[in-house]
Amino acid sequence: MGPAIDLKEVSLTLKGVEILPKVNAYFSPGKLHAITGANGSGKSSLLKAILGLAAHQGRIERHWPTANETISKARQTAYVPQQTAFEPSLPITAQEFLLASLTRQAFFGWRKAADLKQVQALLQRVGMQAKGHLRLGELSGGERQRLLFAQALERNSQFWCLDEPMTGLDLQAQALINKEITQLRQAGATLLVIHHDPAWVADYADQVWCVDNGLYIQGDPL
Amino acid sequence: MMDALRELVFGLQQAGYLPEMFRYGFLTNALVAALIVGPLLGALGPLVVVKRLAFFSEAVGHGALTGVALGILLGEPATQPLAALFAFCVVFAILLHWIKSRTQIPYDALVGVFLAFAIALGASLLLYVAKKVNVHILENVLFGSILTVKDQDLLVMLLLAIVCIGLMLFSGNRALISSLAPDLAKVRGIQVRFFDYVFVLLIALITVASVKIIGSILVGALLLVPAVSARMISRTGREFFWLSVVFATLSCLLGILLPMAGALPIPSGAAIVLVASFGFVVSLVIRRWRSLA
Repeated sequence: MGPAIDLKEVSLTLKGVEILPKVNAYFSPGKLHAITGANGSGKSSLLKAILGLAAHQGRIERHWPTANETISKARQTAYVPQQTAFEPSLPITAQEFLLASLTRQAFFGWRKAADLKQVQALLQRVGMQAKGHLRLGELSGGERQRLLFAQALERNSQFWCLDEPMTGLDLQAQALINKEITQLRQAGATLLVIHHDPAWVADYADQVWCVDNGLYIQGDPL
Repeated sequence: MMDALRELVFGLQQAGYLPEMFRYGFLTNALVAALIVGPLLGALGPLVVVKRLAFFSEAVGHGALTGVALGILLGEPATQPLAALFAFCVVFAILLHWIKSRTQIPYDALVGVFLAFAIALGASLLLYVAKKVNVHILENVLFGSILTVKDQDLLVMLLLAIVCIGLMLFSGNRALISSLAPDLAKVRGIQVRFFDYVFVLLIALITVASVKIIGSILVGALLLVPAVSARMISRTGREFFWLSVVFATLSCLLGILLPMAGALPIPSGAAIVLVASFGFVVSLVIRRWRSLA
């Protein structure tokens, strides 16, 4: 099962401006927590602070259900960032991007058949099995998003942070991603998902959080 | 070993298998140097392009100018001030990167400041040391010379090449992911800042290795031009890497051989970069032709 995330008196400032006042929150383990809020309210910054990517005040603790379990791959974090722009003319393919994420072998060197097979399987899970040869800059916004989801899938993680994962996805791709998210929920992963669609949130979230000059459980201000 | 190789080349020339110019031992030395630094520069170039560090490598190259002058002032041999050259390039590169990571100054502006500083300091010191040494030595430092590559230089180049290849094999993928998606890399436990410094160190090492035949002014260009040429016609990252290696190696070899064959008094660094620039034009034509086909 995934970890619980405990925020203790956490506040965020960006270039001296407070973007999130001091909050306490407990994201229970094995649940899908949807995080909503207006643009610029600090959702992505909060997610980045939880991931250790953004500076914050206060303490953010991860509590894994089995305290003495050895650090395994399943404990690592999977992160699907908000739309990442890649330089259009850079000759790095989607397959190479995943290979570089997966392995420590140099991108210019020999490739193991098993690694190539794993990459193909990941691409298939997000419906991009025929797009591995495309350069990153040739991918559409939705395809880039699927690729970022694929690299996260590789982690087999029990803790997921997804920042607007459905941006730019067509209905078919949304169905594929939703299927993966459902499987993760069933496997007991903890998922923090920033999402703007109330219908999706109503269908998938176990708990809904709202960021609005603070962090509240929907309908129950802290 | 180099003696044996020079004798072999000389023997082949005497037997009529090689042109007249191969009777000179310095040419064999220069070609071996080209075969060491060419692939290295070509291999590092794609990451320089991906990480948008073109002007950074240029600035480190210009820093070499100051390193050489400092070495001569500190009493190192004028033809081989390796310790000062290496120390100054590494300190220069790391300081630039350190300031970059701790300020909000745009990177291109910061590199511009360092570039200007390196040229100004290098020019001042060189004018000063010009009174003490033959001015041709300084010319060689600026633009490279095939006449000055000694066996000891080749050994230094080889050792640096081994270190650089090891670092590239160790950090190549992680450097690539850190450049393409830094946040993802951090979440994956990649020490992005550490690999940035490894890369900076690589550029400094390769600059030092290449100064002898390419010269401090143009060494940055050879990190960039073959990689940009390769980028234009590559479909994949692996193609990008290997084409860049081929272009840089060919540029180094032809840049040494062509002026010798034509008896042209051109510094090797200038000839190498001219050949690399010709490769850029060829890549442009190939790209255009592909888009029309």
